[in-house]
Amino acid sequence: MKLLWFHLMPYSDLPEDFPERNRSVWVDIDPSLFDPVKCQQMYNDYLDELEYAAAAGFDGVCVNEHHSNGYGLMPSPNLWAASLARNTTDAAIVVLGNSLALYNPPIRVAEEMAMLDVVSGGRLVAGFPVGTPMDTCYAYGLDPASLRERYQEAHDLIMRAWTADEPFAFNGTYTKLRSVNVWPRPLQQPHPPVWIPGGGSVETWEWCAEMDYVYCYLSYYGYKLARKQMQGFWSKVEELGLEPNPYRSGFTQFIGLADTDEEARELYREPAEYFFHRSLHVHGGYAEPPGYKTEATIRQGVASQVEMAAKNAERRPNPGSKAAIHSVDFDEMLERGWVLVGSPTTVAEKLHDIATELNCGHMMLLMHFGNMSKELAMHNTKLFAEKVLPEIGDLFDDQWEDRWWPQGARDRAALRVPAASAVSGGGAA
Amino acid sequence: MTVTAAGSDTRRVSVGDGDLSVIEVGTGPVIGYLHGLVGNPIVHPFLHELGDDHHVIAPSLPGFDGSDPLPVRSMHDWVFLASATMDAVGLTGGQVVAASVGAMVALELAAVRPEAFTHLTLLAPLGLWDDADPIHDLWSERGAKQPGYVFSNAEHFAELTADPDGLDVDELMERELGRYRTRRSAASLMWPIPDHGLAARLHRVKCPVHIVWGSDDRLAPPSYAHRFAEMLPECRGISVIDGAGHALEWDRPAEVAAVVRSGPSA
Repeated sequence: MKLLWFHLMPYSDLPEDFPERNRSVWVDIDPSLFDPVKCQQMYNDYLDELEYAAAAGFDGVCVNEHHSNGYGLMPSPNLWAASLARNTTDAAIVVLGNSLALYNPPIRVAEEMAMLDVVSGGRLVAGFPVGTPMDTCYAYGLDPASLRERYQEAHDLIMRAWTADEPFAFNGTYTKLRSVNVWPRPLQQPHPPVWIPGGGSVETWEWCAEMDYVYCYLSYYGYKLARKQMQGFWSKVEELGLEPNPYRSGFTQFIGLADTDEEARELYREPAEYFFHRSLHVHGGYAEPPGYKTEATIRQGVASQVEMAAKNAERRPNPGSKAAIHSVDFDEMLERGWVLVGSPTTVAEKLHDIATELNCGHMMLLMHFGNMSKELAMHNTKLFAEKVLPEIGDLFDDQWEDRWWPQGARDRAALRVPAASAVSGGGAA
Repeated sequence: MTVTAAGSDTRRVSVGDGDLSVIEVGTGPVIGYLHGLVGNPIVHPFLHELGDDHHVIAPSLPGFDGSDPLPVRSMHDWVFLASATMDAVGLTGGQVVAASVGAMVALELAAVRPEAFTHLTLLAPLGLWDDADPIHDLWSERGAKQPGYVFSNAEHFAELTADPDGLDVDELMERELGRYRTRRSAASLMWPIPDHGLAARLHRVKCPVHIVWGSDDRLAPPSYAHRFAEMLPECRGISVIDGAGHALEWDRPAEVAAVVRSGPSA
């Protein structure tokens, strides 16, 4: 099993009454709440944490892309991936990812990711999300009706740009280029491994399986709610006659470690409640712009509603709705599995079970959340690296090969370029 | 197809690579109706009002109602398909009432094809933008609140278009998908700002135009009526329907129909 350290880079100084006084943490978040001096500290702390995790032994470090977002301060994850490529030596640099339809022309992604792959010595994972409605349709103004078609075309262009032997003309619907010729080209051949952060749509499961891409279910709501999604993916894998290699998948989980279970509950209550109550305070009107969902997903939704009505079941509230989240306190977060905290023994056992149950080879661990201090994030990371990683890091490896792992991270000696700097503690003063 | 004075019928016409849904109501002089944001989910009261003394032809644009969701990626595509639709249903060179996004498309069509209409009654057309008085961001409102920005009486619309009892799963599915496609197409025409450059082309609209607006339009401020009037060479007047929202022909069908009847001679 690969254990990766995933940073959302939240703005950690939202006021306590933020949910009462603001409509949303995303898209129309109040600009006056942003303090660039505080953010300077956050950025440097967060990069320190990622670099520390890489040096401590995590298999990879993950960054992602959000726009106009108070819990994700990375409109350009590639900037921080570049910094990490220079300040780490052997961890995978997992960019999860670039929302392809937002880049114009999309070969910008092919170029920047090739730069990252080359400078890191082939340690890049190329993540290609469609992107949330908040990022794509509202913050960046793309028509939801054409978003997926744009994404698909951009994907096809990037993959062809990475693998073509000679310059080519690309006559797409949204992008037209007389001569596509990406320099630099990726170090990994034929291209860096592609991971797809996705929701629970049938099309995404099918596409990932058919394209031999890693399906990443990036949920903040823990392993219990993920069972259905992951099972859907594995059913599709089976249907297509593919081997159920756990490294075909990735999953996110909030983790908080302390010496004892009791101490962990004390330490992580505040940052968890900050994240779920303030950072996830997203206006419901941004959730479903017409056209964002595919028709197959709409069909699925109608079918499940009809099924539920037929069973006279009470309609369950959407776990992601603001009202639902705000009513959940820390104890219930633990109960629901949104956050997994405890001693190293507790967490190792539970994570082992989760990975086994979900058949997930790439566990992307959210080791910093909400307004967690740098000291606590480091403590969390250190305990995990020293006491959990050795216990469960070899899960699956006697049976399965990770064919989706960057070549430079797996076989560092063969591809490593002379390191200009050793692993450092990072740039914060 | 036979259309009786009191009756209505729905048919399909081929346009491009798909079929569009067309409602026809009444007998008399032909008049077209190009729907707004909500399409023509039923043969609604406004069509019956007009049908009292007209033969109303009301096509649904691609993606709306039962019309096939043809690939439409730009205003050029919309105009091309609208032009083909007008030809296919026999409305080219006729009198047309057009609402909201449908009015925007009709004006774009009239700008590139000035002979397309002999008269246009525009019901709260979209297509212009003023930073100081923006069109409301309908699609950022929660789904349950959106009808309140479209209608002054959203409950009435909900009652008129509610699913009948006793539908099976497949029928429910199709109705839900139909509504979703309509919303997708309406949003696409407006996304992210319902301004496709119409202001630069309005001077080419040569036919007489009558502008009608709801006094309580929460989506497109009534001030836009004057902007359109200033920019349209043959604007014959502005009527304001008291108490009506953006979808004024749904809110006040009889009053809007009365304005339409007076339009060509106004």
